[in-house]
Amino acid sequence: MDDFGIWWLTPLILALMVGLICPTTGALLITQRRILLANLMAHSVLPGLVLALAFELDPIIGGLLSGLLGALLAEQLNHRFKGREEGAMNTVLAGFTAFGVLLVPLLQARIDLEALLFGDMLAGNGSDVIRTLIAAAALLLLLLSRYQDLVFLGVDPEGAIAARRPVMQIRFITILITALVVISAITAVGVVLVIALLCAPVLVNLDRSESLRVLMLRSAGTGVLLSSGGLMLAILLDLPPGPLIGVLCLVLLPFWRR
Amino acid sequence: MIPIFMTRRGFVSALVSVPRQDQGLHQLGVGIASAIPSLSVRGVSYDYDNCSAIKSVDLDLHPGTLTALVGPNGAGKSTLLHLIQGRLRANQGTIESNGSIALMPQRASIDWSFPITVTQMVDLGRLRTRNRGQKLSAQQLLNQVGLNGLGARRLDRLSGGQQQRVLLARALMQQTSILLLDEPCSAIDPPTREHLLTVMRQQAESGQTLLVSSHDWGSALDSYDRVVVLDGTVLACGTPDEVRQKLTDMTCMMGSHCCG
Repeated sequence: MDDFGIWWLTPLILALMVGLICPTTGALLITQRRILLANLMAHSVLPGLVLALAFELDPIIGGLLSGLLGALLAEQLNHRFKGREEGAMNTVLAGFTAFGVLLVPLLQARIDLEALLFGDMLAGNGSDVIRTLIAAAALLLLLLSRYQDLVFLGVDPEGAIAARRPVMQIRFITILITALVVISAITAVGVVLVIALLCAPVLVNLDRSESLRVLMLRSAGTGVLLSSGGLMLAILLDLPPGPLIGVLCLVLLPFWRR
Repeated sequence: MIPIFMTRRGFVSALVSVPRQDQGLHQLGVGIASAIPSLSVRGVSYDYDNCSAIKSVDLDLHPGTLTALVGPNGAGKSTLLHLIQGRLRANQGTIESNGSIALMPQRASIDWSFPITVTQMVDLGRLRTRNRGQKLSAQQLLNQVGLNGLGARRLDRLSGGQQQRVLLARALMQQTSILLLDEPCSAIDPPTREHLLTVMRQQAESGQTLLVSSHDWGSALDSYDRVVVLDGTVLACGTPDEVRQKLTDMTCMMGSHCCG
């Protein structure tokens, strides 16, 4: 994969994959009203990533464990601060990000923190593409095996619990896949900007989609256009692609008409 | 008991012009009230955070009856329905049922902005059903609740009353012998309420047992076979006329007691 003759091909594949899987996952999270948890996880993977890179381990393992730890801590604090969950979750988000930033000087690790936070798509390699493929496969498996339950859980969560659907299992798997998607998107857009690709393509398609499936397909299409368009523009303008994709996501919302 | 029930049914049929059993889709049991209750609640109590929600509730529901569960806000109506459905576990007492139970939830528990069509929403009822008998189609049920032609429309494009009918159709899809309805007639116009009551009546006539929580008092109670008044515990239970008489007696007793 690293031996592609055309230097921009790997970043383009990465952009297309990230544009595909981030909005598809975002459609699940937004319809289940769990997007804040996703943003928390995106930031919570940072300490694990820094540790994994410092000790030359696979970033997936470090990021996944760290992301799950953040989600678990947030879940615990949500019980303690019932009714004020958003405050607790944002504190965990900031705390994990800060811890990740502090680990770099503490471990004296040679890590490009800016690339982790805001992405460095042009430096993307075959391993990054493989990570997106793993995340895409896990997401596809969940959608194929549990689509009806995901719809039920989104439209009537209490009813899904009462009907004894495997709600806890589905929620845990969704968290796991969110962590995988976030980790695979870090080279492209970074932990801070990934939330834009999770949200914006979904928001512009939410009101005109007649099913979750259609919403996912449309959001993925919009996501692919945003990420590949952002990459092209970045190459043309000689700007970093991650932040440019983030700005494109923002620009999309105010100009969007139903 | 049975003669009163039959009289009540005759009255209600005349009032709301209910079609006879030829429109009933369910073949779940006998068409008249049976002596054996399909649901029996004995001494049930439930506490939320050491605060009593309901205390020592006794209740029998018979097949083919339409029962109203009335009471003020916070009386424990939804709690009792969730206990019967099995979503909550009683701190004390027993609940026995002779069949499967479906619950039509309150409006607030549904995310109405979720991207889903009316037909897809009704079909979610299949995920809950364990019935291996005749499969109902969403189209059949939408016709029954008066929403024919709206199956392809998005759920959030419907009016509040139409959305309530979709929830009823989804509950009917489960083909259970007991159907609990949590405030189905709240915030809807009188014609829609009458239509919902007609469908509920049809279901009762086909043998289903229905328990409907409601804020309605007065003449609206005449649409039901039996009425249970709940305010933490069962204050009165019987036909609408019996309940009115009991409540009047209680008010008189409290009045004479207060006045000395």
